[in-house]
Amino acid sequence: MNIIAMFISPLIALITGMFFLGIFRKIMARLQWRYGPPVIQPVIDVIRSFSQMSISHGSLFDFGIILSLTGSFVLILFLPIGELCPFTSGGLIAFIYLMLLDPLGMALSGAAAANPNSSIGISRKFLLSLAYEVPLLLVLLAVMTRYNTISLVEIVKIQASTGWAFGSWTLVLSGIAYFLILPAILGVRPFEVVKASQEISSGPIAEFGGKHLAFSTLQHALHMFVGLALFVDIFLGGWTLFGLLDPLSGTVWAVILGIVIFLLKMIVVLVIEIFINAVYPRYRIEQAMKYLWKWPTLISFIGLIIVVLAN
Amino acid sequence: MDRNQIGKWLKNPGKMANKYSFHVVYFCTGCGIIEIPPSITTRWDAERFGIIPVATPRQANLFLITGYVSTKTLKAIIRTYEQMPEPKYTVAFGSCPINGGMYYDSYNTIKSLDKYIPVDGYIAGCMPRPEAIFIGVTHLWKLIDMDKADGYKRYREDYEFYRENQEQLFGELDWPPLFKNKSS
Repeated sequence: MNIIAMFISPLIALITGMFFLGIFRKIMARLQWRYGPPVIQPVIDVIRSFSQMSISHGSLFDFGIILSLTGSFVLILFLPIGELCPFTSGGLIAFIYLMLLDPLGMALSGAAAANPNSSIGISRKFLLSLAYEVPLLLVLLAVMTRYNTISLVEIVKIQASTGWAFGSWTLVLSGIAYFLILPAILGVRPFEVVKASQEISSGPIAEFGGKHLAFSTLQHALHMFVGLALFVDIFLGGWTLFGLLDPLSGTVWAVILGIVIFLLKMIVVLVIEIFINAVYPRYRIEQAMKYLWKWPTLISFIGLIIVVLAN
Repeated sequence: MDRNQIGKWLKNPGKMANKYSFHVVYFCTGCGIIEIPPSITTRWDAERFGIIPVATPRQANLFLITGYVSTKTLKAIIRTYEQMPEPKYTVAFGSCPINGGMYYDSYNTIKSLDKYIPVDGYIAGCMPRPEAIFIGVTHLWKLIDMDKADGYKRYREDYEFYRENQEQLFGELDWPPLFKNKSS
């Protein structure tokens, strides 16, 4: 079972991640009163990139993007997608460590490319991840303290019996803080500073063409999946839906329907993020850092204090 | 995507994907660039054909040259074209790249762009309307289907001819040849 889950869960993540990129572009187009591309357009783009000749700038350039992609794949193995979770040990601690691999791999590739635009993009990416990881750590600390466990599966199971964390008064502030930093994790506006194609020529991926571009698109899709899935797992009760699946528990149908419910919850969160992306302009990097270190950090800190007092 | 094209997709996915996902580098020379913002934004919406502008030539496969080409910008055009990964397509927009247009007697404007880089198709007119761009794109689809949009192959085969023309214009070029000579 575990071996099968190890293959299936990255596959689900990849397919839904590409689908998310597709509906992202489609909904953005509909919001701007355009017809928009077909939903499978990102898949077509990736096939095109794979068919093109790619230009390498040395072995570090190839290695960096592979490292980034692998980091995202490994991250998904620690994440319960529905009831599929290959690695149940480690949990949130491993998660915090592995989340750094994404900017690190990109930095290696971008440094090897020696393009000034990608250098600026990398410095922005590191600053942004530094900015959102402070509130993220506080949020995860509050969750771990509240449920007295580091395992994501355990957290979802406790929520199945006691109700969603987002609905409980102890963790609602942490949930709000996570929601405020979610655009920064996904890299959408108002925190689209890294890949700002109008000012720094799409940043770290400025020198990527062909296969490298395809890998970076896949990595972006996976990263988007991870950011949304973590929110759904921690705060929105993962695969549970008001005890709807209780009569089926233990059967294969429960696993499949659990995955469907999980993906539906992710799509709801994603659509809200798309609306935010459509409305807001882009911050400058220092404005983004100022914002992220002020409001989400403050809210998550108060949330942590409440959790500590309530325990 | 059409359902009766599934056979083509299975046969040659790379070619079909190239057809339906044009990532475009716009080379903003002259007045042609005025027609680009309406065609990629709400009114005409080029994204429904899979066409989106990209910021760097490395990610692109379509090169759209909008308007007249002066001798100075031709250097940048050649370098941009050589940075794009293959397969790549070039479309010249407006009548100036075809024969000089209204700059037919200008001393520093290129009369025929086809002598310096291979051009897969022209959109004639002064100015062509955004609809003409989409008609041009559908023609380019047909050319790709028939394997006639082979500008990048011609550039590889006849590189000596193109390089000679470029050197004739600029004197000594300050970048090395993209492809090695066949004789050496």
